[in-house]
Amino acid sequence: MKSKKESAKKKLPEGFTIKPGLDEQYANQPLFQDKVDRVNHILKTVGLPDFKLLAE
Amino acid sequence: MTDHYTANASAEATTFEFVSEGPKGKVTKVVRYTESHLKGLYNMGFGDKDELTNYLSDTSVTNNGDSQKVLATVAATLYVFTDEYPAALIVATGSTEARTRLYRMGIANNLEAIERDFIVLGLTAGEWQPFQRGVTYGAFLVRRKSLPSQP
Repeated sequence: MKSKKESAKKKLPEGFTIKPGLDEQYANQPLFQDKVDRVNHILKTVGLPDFKLLAE
Repeated sequence: MTDHYTANASAEATTFEFVSEGPKGKVTKVVRYTESHLKGLYNMGFGDKDELTNYLSDTSVTNNGDSQKVLATVAATLYVFTDEYPAALIVATGSTEARTRLYRMGIANNLEAIERDFIVLGLTAGEWQPFQRGVTYGAFLVRRKSLPSQP
């Protein structure tokens, strides 16, 4: 996958603002880990979609 | 699509926070995009924050009468996230069958608008298929269309 875009000045859509430290605010808990586990399970059992399905 | 709430985003655009307002009061909602074991494949998690403990639950039922606006806000975070990670594949699953159905209805009700910008797949019978109305899915996968050209 392409790495994160480099952007010195991030332009957010209307209604969004950057809140520094938001990630750290929840750093002490594994957020939605059951869902992440489920995605990993899907990845293992079903795999990724056919590339054709993801083509525009 | 319905108007969305104003929201805070982390600098990495992986965590979002907004406040639902309704008859039950103000409820802080959090959306978090977490990378799976496969680089570029993310889970989209979404839940309510307990203001006393700071703990997040994705099984609580708020009943704040604003589910459309909440879903629209969650959908809006997808744009911010995929602006930052344009090649990401994002999987969403409901914490309960009812919530998965809610997601399905939210997608179905806004399918034309969503498909202008995203490829939407659903997982059914053990395989990914293009999202269709009236089909029950256990998970959803989206990818942003029109990847920007790279320098």
